[in-house]
Amino acid sequence: MNKEPIVEVKNIGMSFGATRALDDVDFNFYPGELLALVGANGAGKSTLIKIICGYHSGYEGQIIIDNKEVDLNSPKEAYDYGIQTVHQIINQGVIQTMTVAENLALEEMLSPDQPILYNYPAIRKRALEIASLMDLDYLDMDAPVFSIPQSDRQMISIARALASNPKLLILDEPTSSISEKEAERLFSTLLKLRDSGVSIVYVSHRLHEITRLADRVGVLRDGKVAGELVVPFSVQNIVHAMVGDIEQEPVKKEDVKVNKNVVKLELKDLVVQEGKPGLNLKIYEGEVLGLTGLIGAGKSELAAVLFGDVKPISGEMYINGKLYEPENIGAAIKKGIFMVPEDRNNNAVFPDFSIRQNINMPFLDMFTNKAFVLNTRKERKEAKRMVKAMTVKCESEDSPILSLSGGNQQKVIVARWLMTQSNLVILDEPFQGVDVKSRSEIGQYLRKNIGKSTALVIATDLDEVIDISDRVIVFNHGVMVGEQEAGEIDKEKLIHLTSQTLEEILEPGLVGNVTKGVV
Amino acid sequence: MKKFNITDFSIKWGFLIVMGVLFTMFSILEPAFISAGNLFNILLSVCIFGTMALGETFVLITDGMDLSIGSTAALSVMISAYLMVVLELGGLITIFIVLGIGIAVGLLIGFLIVKVKIPDLLATLGMMFLVQGLQYIPSGGLSIGRGAVIKNGREAMGHFSEGFKYLGQGRILKVIPVPVLIMLGVAIIVYIILSKTKFGRIFYAIGGNPEAARLVGVNVNKYKVIAYASSSFIASLAGILLAARVGRGDVGSQGTLLMDAIGAALIGFAVLGARKPNPFGTIVGAIFIGMLMNGLTMLSMQYFWQDFIKGSVLVAALAFTFGISKKHG
Repeated sequence: MNKEPIVEVKNIGMSFGATRALDDVDFNFYPGELLALVGANGAGKSTLIKIICGYHSGYEGQIIIDNKEVDLNSPKEAYDYGIQTVHQIINQGVIQTMTVAENLALEEMLSPDQPILYNYPAIRKRALEIASLMDLDYLDMDAPVFSIPQSDRQMISIARALASNPKLLILDEPTSSISEKEAERLFSTLLKLRDSGVSIVYVSHRLHEITRLADRVGVLRDGKVAGELVVPFSVQNIVHAMVGDIEQEPVKKEDVKVNKNVVKLELKDLVVQEGKPGLNLKIYEGEVLGLTGLIGAGKSELAAVLFGDVKPISGEMYINGKLYEPENIGAAIKKGIFMVPEDRNNNAVFPDFSIRQNINMPFLDMFTNKAFVLNTRKERKEAKRMVKAMTVKCESEDSPILSLSGGNQQKVIVARWLMTQSNLVILDEPFQGVDVKSRSEIGQYLRKNIGKSTALVIATDLDEVIDISDRVIVFNHGVMVGEQEAGEIDKEKLIHLTSQTLEEILEPGLVGNVTKGVV
Repeated sequence: MKKFNITDFSIKWGFLIVMGVLFTMFSILEPAFISAGNLFNILLSVCIFGTMALGETFVLITDGMDLSIGSTAALSVMISAYLMVVLELGGLITIFIVLGIGIAVGLLIGFLIVKVKIPDLLATLGMMFLVQGLQYIPSGGLSIGRGAVIKNGREAMGHFSEGFKYLGQGRILKVIPVPVLIMLGVAIIVYIILSKTKFGRIFYAIGGNPEAARLVGVNVNKYKVIAYASSSFIASLAGILLAARVGRGDVGSQGTLLMDAIGAALIGFAVLGARKPNPFGTIVGAIFIGMLMNGLTMLSMQYFWQDFIKGSVLVAALAFTFGISKKHG
């Protein structure tokens, strides 16, 4: 291996407000090497990538490219140094209303050297060359991108990144929404690229992919480099480096106060994704059930069905033994099914509202008289109670929600749904962008106050789930592949379950063994 | 007590102070300006578009925009005249029919936006043309007054009922114009709905984050339709006031009503540093426009300056609201 790094990052640090996202991170990227970057959610992978591709200016530390220190202030600058990035969010990488050909040859199309009159045939010709890099010749070049599947859009972004002959190619979760077959095609292209001297940074949660592809693994934990592993390494090595010493104690067996005699919620052969097997699950009174799995494993799809946002494809749901068929979200809330949605800023926070108004929003009827006039005093009283109970740090319950830190905003959103009695509270990625202290406070409050209700905590990050759950279930490719009770949690086994390939899941013998070993 | 901060202070009170200074200036330069008669004239000059602006506030709050209210008001003028003068209906039944048509226009706009999924600006622009054209049809493009000859050659024999005209021309205690009281009444009702009831909270929530509103169980589409229906309903009420004031059905009476109404509602953003649509600010914005026009006219400003000055005030108020306060946090 060439010993001269093509890109070096030294002492990189980055803070967002009070949150230290990255601290003193060093990495070298060598030509002809595939470096896998791993870490839990919030470990700082995305921040690091965004710094290297010029998206975040104002970072601390140095970036050295070809032995020269550079100052990256925009994606264009990074691009000019030969750094290409394929981002995780596919639709940011393509222009939906343009054709496949235009998207593939986007760079040429937007180049100032183009003739004034638009020459579509020339663009199309170039697009076909780019398509052949990834064997995408099967695509209809003239179809608009919004009409083709997600996976094809992802392949277009990757092909386009390859077309510019990058020195350093960064791929952020490139396989999270493409099929196994497409992933194989991607892998063989990546290995070819690596052998031709390109330096590749590969970010993935799928540890099996990494053990196959990577020459070296860089592990981030809480914004710091937690280790570097060189081949040969195993999934277990990587997991250990990722997880490290646990800050929080998983739930102990003696802390479990689930009443197994009362089934609060039951799912019978519930199908939430086309072509997946039916789901059978019971959630018991007083239970905090954790649901983990990678992005795309089907977790959010289940949440959407439970919350009445999407109709199940087939199967039945029961609350307290009664059939539950919500027409819409409003109906689900009336039946006591609540949800703290993923992505607080886009889906939960009312930015112009005060803390009180944010907390009370779903239950305005509680505070209105017959003339629909709101009783502000009653609103204040309830909001104050919740703010105090959840230890929200604020001046008063009438302060604007945007004056709070991310963790405290999340407490407010959780408080919104814990204010009244429920049958089930779903918390979808409740700890994203939430500091460790707030996370533990939210978790403890939830466990203490679950009462006769139930909670379903959904998180990709395993720790977030096992630290507050009485029972953990694992989804993978839309299938429930494992289940463990508090006190018998085997983290490495759980990680193995989340990162299995579809073939491993479908192989009955293997699934049988795993399940038996776990439950 | 927090430390005095000049930026905070000017964001909150700046607009009202400017208004007060202008008021004092006009009063000193032209003493007739502060006569009770003139002050009511100012209010009278703003009450049609001021009322419309209150309706527009519902739509603005849900982060929409209704460009059709001027046409809807003009349609109401023509329908009122047609019903009373040509069809010889009574005043009360006319009012009910016109308000009903107003609601129907709003429901159609709402349908186009939430079901057909036309973006709000385009849907209401299209409806603006449609409704504007619709007003000409019953009378064959002619204005309607007593004795007018309508399409079939027949002379229209009806007349505006006295009660109807009272809405536009009457004065309580011989001083306070009835349409001004109606505007203030609408303002109070709109204020109560938006600030005190759960509906107002829901409208503001939709404007702030529609997805979050949906995820707390709000039927966002239903409330959007209600907002457009309210806006058109109030616009048709304003049309009734206009018809009652002039006592005949003039074609093309929309004039600058739409722009004045939207201008007033947008100027309202700057009042008390609200930075969002609010009924109090809307009324203050409308009165501000009226006061400025009245004062400058008294000081012999020529009429062709009017639109330019209105536009300048609007841009200045918006720059003040969004420029200063955003930087400030």
